[in-house]
This record gives sequence, structure tokens and C-alpha cells, in this order.
Amino acid sequence: MHILIFKTNIETEDARKELGSLLNSHRSIIDWNIDKEDVDKVLRIESELNNTREIMTTINKAGFICEELPD
Amino acid sequence: MNERSFIFVSEMRIRDTNKELSVKHHAMELLLKDGFDGFSMQKLAKACDISVGTLYIYYKNKEDLIIRIGIEEGKRMMKATMKNFSPDMPFAAGLKVQWENRSAYWLKNKQASLFFENIKHTHYAEVILNEISDGFRPTMQQFVKNSIAKKELEFLSFESYWSVAFGPLYTLLKFEQNGKSVGNRPYKFSKKVMYQTLELVLKALKP
Repeated sequence: MHILIFKTNIETEDARKELGSLLNSHRSIIDWNIDKEDVDKVLRIESELNNTREIMTTINKAGFICEELPD
Repeated sequence: MNERSFIFVSEMRIRDTNKELSVKHHAMELLLKDGFDGFSMQKLAKACDISVGTLYIYYKNKEDLIIRIGIEEGKRMMKATMKNFSPDMPFAAGLKVQWENRSAYWLKNKQASLFFENIKHTHYAEVILNEISDGFRPTMQQFVKNSIAKKELEFLSFESYWSVAFGPLYTLLKFEQNGKSVGNRPYKFSKKVMYQTLELVLKALKP
């Protein structure tokens, strides 16, 4: 399993729901959560694959900011 | 799910104990300095000289971090409190062991003790207490029940019992924490004063 960490701009409940529908249907994603209390709104994904780029692109395409947080 | 073992197996990331201890130490320090609302993962990462990304590998989010640190430290505290203690002890001897254990833990772990004082009134407390007080609460309740049955302890409401049995001890420990007692008098904790105070407490609680 890989843990992928991103900085995002996902703040509202609606945005989280939209992201949820993207991530829940993604084949490699085991679990995910957003640190709502953190200024970077850190998105943490547990993925079967090391597919950082692909996930980032998917989220960016939906109109959200999503950048990799370095390990 | 045990994410730690996953990390270990799949990413060959060997857990660094020193790093983990540093995170725990700095987290408690920052939580005491900035409060639970002012605490952030960025500030913590900076204080530990690691990246925020690394922090999120170990902890899911701020809440997960606070709760896990609280549980880990809380278990240590409970274990220390129970050392050489049995609920079947005579009341005076048992309370003496409790005072000795609690003061020893407090004096050796000032940061963690303050952390628990502060966490008491947050929503994290309930989760942490549920995890750590298995065994502790029933044991202390049994001790009180036995002591009342043996007519070694006055029958009182829980709050009344606790405030007399432990309130004075924590007052002394807080004086020690501040280095000052009432009216800014310089204060240093001593076992002599602790035992004198305990004598009075035992006298008060006798039926």
C-alpha cells in the first residue's frame, strides 16, 4: 500500500462530496481523508498503486487545486 | 487496519523511533503552547524538522495524532499509577501507593501531566479515556468499594471522595509545576510535606 499526500483547496462540504464521488469510484484507492482542521486541507490517500500523478490529474480536472506534498 | 505494518511492508519504510519520540515531544510542547485549536501539523513538522508529508504518513490528521499520542502516553500513565497497587489493600496503604505513584509520574513527566490536564476539557478526552481506562477505573472502583465494606473509608459521593482523596495531592503538584504556591510563595515539592498532607487526608476519610 502507498500513502499519497496532497495539498488541496477542498474546504466546503460540497467540495468534499464531489471529491468523494471521484475517489470512492477509483479502482486503486483503499481509503482517503481530508484534514479539515489543517490550513493545507491535506488530502491523504491510501492507494494500492503509487499513482500520485494520475490521481492529481483526476482531481485537477474536476477543478480543484491538488499538489503533491513532499515526503 | 494496521497502517503501520502496511507502510513497513510495502514501502520498506522502517519506523524511526527517535523521529517518533521527537514528534510526540514536540506535539505535546506545541499543544501546551498554542492550545488545541492553535496547533497545526505544519508547525509540528517545522518543530521536528521533518516534512508535513512525512507526518501524514504516520498520522491520518491532526485529530488522529492528538488521540494516538494521548492514548500512548495515557497507557503509560495508567501503568505507572497501578504499580505495586491492588484493590484489596487496606485503604491507608492503597491510597499511599496511589499518591506515591501519581506524584512520581507527575514529577518525571511534567509535560505529559500538563498535556492531560489540558486535554480533559476537549472532545479528544472521551476517546482517549475510553481507550486507556480499561482496568484502571474498575480497579479504583473496587478499591473504594472494598474499603467502604471493610469500614476503612467513609461512604461519600464520588466527587466528594475524589476531591478529598486526590485534590490535595494535585494541589501540591500544581504548586510544584508553577514553582510557586499561594501568594507567589516559592515552592518545591517534598515527600515530607506530601506524607504530612496524606495523613490529614486519611484522617478525614476515616468513617
